[in-house]
Amino acid sequence: MTIQELAKQSSGISCQYTITPEIYYSFQRVSNDFNPLHTDKYFAESMGFPDRVMYGNILNAFISHFVGMLLPTRSVIIQTQEIDFHKPVFMNDLITLDSSIDTISEAANAIIYKLKFYRENMGGGKKQLVAKGHVQIGILNDKQV
Amino acid sequence: MEKNEILAKVQTIFRDVLDNEEIVLTDETTANDIEEWDSLSHIQLIVAIEKAFGVKFTSLEIKELGDVGDMCQCIERKLRK
Repeated sequence: MTIQELAKQSSGISCQYTITPEIYYSFQRVSNDFNPLHTDKYFAESMGFPDRVMYGNILNAFISHFVGMLLPTRSVIIQTQEIDFHKPVFMNDLITLDSSIDTISEAANAIIYKLKFYRENMGGGKKQLVAKGHVQIGILNDKQV
Repeated sequence: MEKNEILAKVQTIFRDVLDNEEIVLTDETTANDIEEWDSLSHIQLIVAIEKAFGVKFTSLEIKELGDVGDMCQCIERKLRK
């Protein structure tokens, strides 16, 4: 698949994720991050949050899913990834990841996707931007696969 | 845009992408002269230069670039078109 074909076939991909207890505990185990903001409801409340704050980097794991599983080729690799967290996310939040193409470089064989994460469970059909960022991917050639 | 202006802008991009404010580019500079200029950062540089100058390179053009001077000449040619 060429970079132009990938761009054509991956324009506007969107996916929904729920931050389930399984995802939360799996990330906790992998990261070994037991900071009380993420593990202690009372500590989180004392810091002004309504509940334990979920690990922001769970959203980075969703980017991994987007690149590895949603793009229409398996011969793809993440080159850079950046995310800005605007709002905390909480257990059982329904998160939509919206992607759009920012830059295509045939010379570098790379695409930069803009990413926006929205919380959907706001009531009244409203959604809230919780994070945004970008990921740059490259297509692997045969020698690299 | 004059060639020295292109070189200055390319130098700013190199410093930003490679996170090294001490980089000083000349026409003869190659990847062998800058420790941070590896294969991944090369991709980052190409993408950043294309964005900053509003130009697009071809794979062949990138392959044929021998040093920074070649890169600046290539940018200059594209800006003239």
